[in-house]
Amino acid sequence: MGDYYDIDDILAEEDFVPVQFHKAVNGVKIDESSERGFVEQDSKAELPFWLARGLHLQQAISIKVPACFNRNTRLEIEADAGSVDLRSRCSYFYEFGCKVAPYCDKSIGLLVSYAFKARYKEVLYKAHTKAFAAASKIMTFLTKEETNLYEAAQSSMAAFRKWRMGGPRLQRASILGRKRKPAE
Amino acid sequence: MAGQSGSQLSLFTPDEVEFVAEDELVEIVPNLRMDSLNFICGDYGPFYPQIAIQVPLWLALALKKRGKCTIRPPQWMSIENLTQVLEGERESHAFQTLPFHYVEISRLLFDRARDDIPDVYMVRSLVEDIRDVRFHKVETNLENFTNSSLVLQWKNMAAMEVNIIRAFSGRALQAFYRHENEQAVPDLDRTQDRQPQNLNDRPRVCRSFCCIPIFPLHHWIDKIVFISCLLDYCPTIVFLWRAYCLFVVPLQRNLRPR
Repeated sequence: MGDYYDIDDILAEEDFVPVQFHKAVNGVKIDESSERGFVEQDSKAELPFWLARGLHLQQAISIKVPACFNRNTRLEIEADAGSVDLRSRCSYFYEFGCKVAPYCDKSIGLLVSYAFKARYKEVLYKAHTKAFAAASKIMTFLTKEETNLYEAAQSSMAAFRKWRMGGPRLQRASILGRKRKPAE
Repeated sequence: MAGQSGSQLSLFTPDEVEFVAEDELVEIVPNLRMDSLNFICGDYGPFYPQIAIQVPLWLALALKKRGKCTIRPPQWMSIENLTQVLEGERESHAFQTLPFHYVEISRLLFDRARDDIPDVYMVRSLVEDIRDVRFHKVETNLENFTNSSLVLQWKNMAAMEVNIIRAFSGRALQAFYRHENEQAVPDLDRTQDRQPQNLNDRPRVCRSFCCIPIFPLHHWIDKIVFISCLLDYCPTIVFLWRAYCLFVVPLQRNLRPR
């Protein structure tokens, strides 16, 4: 499921999920609007996922489907997955979907898998040969994971082109290139 | 160090792949007389003028640089062969048979031994065309990642082509695998322990030895310790056995009614 210390894992769990409390909770102030220091039973709130999961294991809350997997997004993905701007919805769309799916809705797993396959077929597999101008346009709506893939392809292709052009095999160290000032 | 140029996956830079490619044998015609050279990788020589000999490419290039030999272009680098390979590449979906390091060898020879290759411009343009067609096929194959299972087999790919798509395809395959797994086994209990999945093949030490019998088995002791040492079990278990044998067993023996 990812390492405990992996920064991407930590950031993927930062997104908010809507929850509903089953028990009344004392001593916390979750909503900024409420002045009282506790949360009533059956009230709704938004919590970060790492907190929601811990509370779910204690059966204090139930997790609802987050906003980035709602019906609108599903329709857009089914229509044309390659041009949906997933980054504005959720930077870690796939990771987050994989984590949330066991708790609220198993079909999120299918949605995430379908979205990835469709986007891969349309956008990502061309990553090696895309020109730079087109690439910068596409990268604005890729999620973090897809950007990872894309940049790996681009950098390896750039390294290959640089190698093909040739150049000296031994490179002069940059520190030697500086002119020395005469010691006063 | 080779293989350390990437951040997460082990990646090779094109220079490293070229370095590995220089081990291939090529034929040279030396113009000097020299005793045989003894290297770790083998012995080459003795060198007689105008007698062809097979040496590794790095040695050939070093000799060429000093003007001590001329390099004969390899068999596959003739115009007829390359034209045939190009036709084959354009017609079929499979990759044609080419040496594994053809990109690097051809580039090195073009750079350093240009005058030894007949019709160098024609050969160069043919190799470039072949490379373009093959890479286009690689891309088309990449598109079909989703339809196949987790094991892919593409025959006759060259080293440089593999290197270009190594980072990308490794990560893409990992992502596909993770999504397939999520679909197949979504269960809540997995999130409770934070250990990584079986994506990496970590050998699992069998812990079936943990059920230590309570009653003393003196005649089994040495056998168990011997077996556990053989199979590289956790030394703690061995230590516990020895402690058990040394301290607990005599006590039990004393307590047993005579």
